[in-house]
Amino acid sequence: METLTLERILEEHPLFRGMNEQHLRTLVESATVVRFEPGDVIFEEGEPAHHFYLIRTGKVALQLVSYRVEPFTLMTLEQGDIIGWSWLFPPYRWKFTARALDLIRAISLDGRSVCAKCNEDHDLGYELMKRFAQIIENRVEALSVHLVAVEK
Amino acid sequence: METLQSILSVHPFFNDLPTQHIETVTGCVSNVRFKAGDVIFHEGEEADHFYLIREGKVALRIHSERRGPLTILTLGEGDILGWSWLFPPYRWKFSARAIEETRAFAADGKCLREKAERDHDLGYELLKRFAHVVEERLEATRLQLLNVYQDQ
Repeated sequence: METLTLERILEEHPLFRGMNEQHLRTLVESATVVRFEPGDVIFEEGEPAHHFYLIRTGKVALQLVSYRVEPFTLMTLEQGDIIGWSWLFPPYRWKFTARALDLIRAISLDGRSVCAKCNEDHDLGYELMKRFAQIIENRVEALSVHLVAVEK
Repeated sequence: METLQSILSVHPFFNDLPTQHIETVTGCVSNVRFKAGDVIFHEGEEADHFYLIREGKVALRIHSERRGPLTILTLGEGDILGWSWLFPPYRWKFSARAIEETRAFAADGKCLREKAERDHDLGYELLKRFAHVVEERLEATRLQLLNVYQDQ
């Protein structure tokens, strides 16, 4: 019953739109339901990155935090958005901090297990990489716009 | 004489890519040359290529309403230039200008997209590599932003 529900949730998430049923069933095996309270740090810059999250409800601030620097919010993500891509590349550490602004209901996916599945099934790998490359691209754009705004 | 294929096969971007994929990619690649000052591509225009820089230097710039074009990154030998050909709306998000005489391989994005769409083994390999290139660009921009904040 739980598996069926999760599959339905994944199927309806914009990230997985257009993905076939077999791929969704494969991904469900790496998925867990998670929940964060307002103010919770979902992940922290510099920590090992082994997951990504599909936000179902609530708002998450993606922040750049560094010592000597006041944290600033690069973007706010919400229902239908994805947080986390550092699980894809060495050194597998978060480059940003994600903080829950409200009560967050999300699905967490295990990056190592998803990577292993992509390596076994390149059809799945292709579909997923296409989506993640675009997410990362979108973050580069946000960061560049921010850089242009603050540079003297 | 060195063939295009043998030159591509030793480029770090294609490291460990199976020979049959290198062959496929070679079919979409041509040799190009830019003079210092040439615009390689322009923000907002259709993005139909990416470039592997063999020699020279290229400035990646973004337009600021307030201060005109700002260089966000300088690329050189071995670097990959351009990924907007990967995602709709297939338009450049940045401008690129040669700041020295530059030799590069230009890969036809549409040709590669079609080949990747037909062959997901190739598609997975290419997308994985491009996602990484985009992520490296994100990291460079992030560090630059931290520098700006620390200087203030």
